Amino acid sequence: MSVILESALTAGLAALAAGVFWLLGWRLRRAHALLSALGVSVGFAVLYWRVQGRPDFPPIDATQWVFWHALLALPLGWLAGIAPAYRWLWVWGALLGVLWLFVPPLRPLVESGFWSLTAGVAYIVGFALATWLLMALTAPLGEEGGLATPFLIALLGGVSAGVLFYGAKSASLAQLSGTLGAVVGVGVPLAFLRSFTIGRGAVALAMLLFMSLWTTALGFAQLTLGQLVVLYLLALTPALRLLPAMQRLSPAVRFALPLAIVLVVGGAAVGMTYSAYMAQSGDTYSY
Amino acid sequence: MRKQTRFVAYLSILAMLVGSLQSTQAQAVTYRVDPVHSFIIFRVKHLNTGFAYGRFNTFSGTMVVDERNPANSSIELEIDANSVDTGNSQRDDHLRNPDFFNTRQFPKITFKSTRVRKINDTTVEVQGNLTMRGVTRPITARVTYTGKGRNQRGQEIIGFETTFTIRRSQFNINYGLNGGLADEVRVTFAVEGIRQ
Repeated sequence: MSVILESALTAGLAALAAGVFWLLGWRLRRAHALLSALGVSVGFAVLYWRVQGRPDFPPIDATQWVFWHALLALPLGWLAGIAPAYRWLWVWGALLGVLWLFVPPLRPLVESGFWSLTAGVAYIVGFALATWLLMALTAPLGEEGGLATPFLIALLGGVSAGVLFYGAKSASLAQLSGTLGAVVGVGVPLAFLRSFTIGRGAVALAMLLFMSLWTTALGFAQLTLGQLVVLYLLALTPALRLLPAMQRLSPAVRFALPLAIVLVVGGAAVGMTYSAYMAQSGDTYSY
Repeated sequence: MRKQTRFVAYLSILAMLVGSLQSTQAQAVTYRVDPVHSFIIFRVKHLNTGFAYGRFNTFSGTMVVDERNPANSSIELEIDANSVDTGNSQRDDHLRNPDFFNTRQFPKITFKSTRVRKINDTTVEVQGNLTMRGVTRPITARVTYTGKGRNQRGQEIIGFETTFTIRRSQFNINYGLNGGLADEVRVTFAVEGIRQ
């Protein structure tokens, strides 16, 4: 089977898994919070398994934690879904949960001496807080109907794939990131169903998984902190739609503005990493 | 007087015994791997078409060689995974990252022999544990003696060579298995050791 066909099949299977859970959540409103997160969780797990093979538990290789984050963070996605009713449970549960999730994958960098203990603690706490903030700020987007939210997150997956491919020089992390975007992107056609929303849990969990991929790329591949910050800000961009000033604008403008930012800034980020990649040496290497 | 003579005789026998033990131990000679005159080369099939070659430039190790009783021989090797060199800096960066060796978490590749068995006068079978990317797997290789001599400094040197094949998927290196890069990697280790 060709590589392209294989990738398409992987993305299709992952998207199908997510779509099935979201359709169930659309029909079973009482279970929507859980099914929303479950769609991303199972979709990403299917995707990872096909791209990287069966991971160990507990992982010997720290990069395999990305897979386990998809499953272990499921309660956080569910908490995001019930956040309006249980705000404090969500705030503290998510914060402690994210801190707990980020320690195992990044600890080997301290153990191998790549990071000092101080730097390691600072990175882990910093990433956990940033992830928690990203989840908290973007989760309400999942309650919005229409295709804007899944489309913008899918686009973020594409930009992230480009930066990880040329910047971090990791084809597999790029593939995971791009296909995570495709998993959330299945919400675009589903958005045409009446009163369909992908849910707060799906958005929160997708953001956590993006951060998991980016921190893995920073720690173990060659993503720079600057590139990670750009990707992080792009991930926050869809949340602009929730600002009171934006709420007063027409739906088209509320969609077009973050879209333009992601396209322009994301396009520039991919373009710059591509240029740096090509300028690294006179030769070409196409993986 | 007779007691004294007997004591001297015992001492002489003891001295002979110790001497013979020392000469037996002297058969096992320790050599340090000479990184300048040793090579670790690998090849893997690319897109089911051509072979891509690479090498590791930095490694160290010791060999204990017992010519009379090869079973007493052993080898330990430590390779700096960051020193991978395929003649293309972008590909080398890719090999260092989590798609392949994940060198920030696993900067070393190690081999430690567990058993050496004589096959014939110039060949031994070496069994040992290869650890790569945090995974340890037993491997077996036929090692051929390639020569012995002295270097320009007058030090005694010895040479061996082996070629064996591993499956990279057994070490959790799964990138590109679906047609991009073959699972089988052929490794050639040509070593020259300097007597310690």
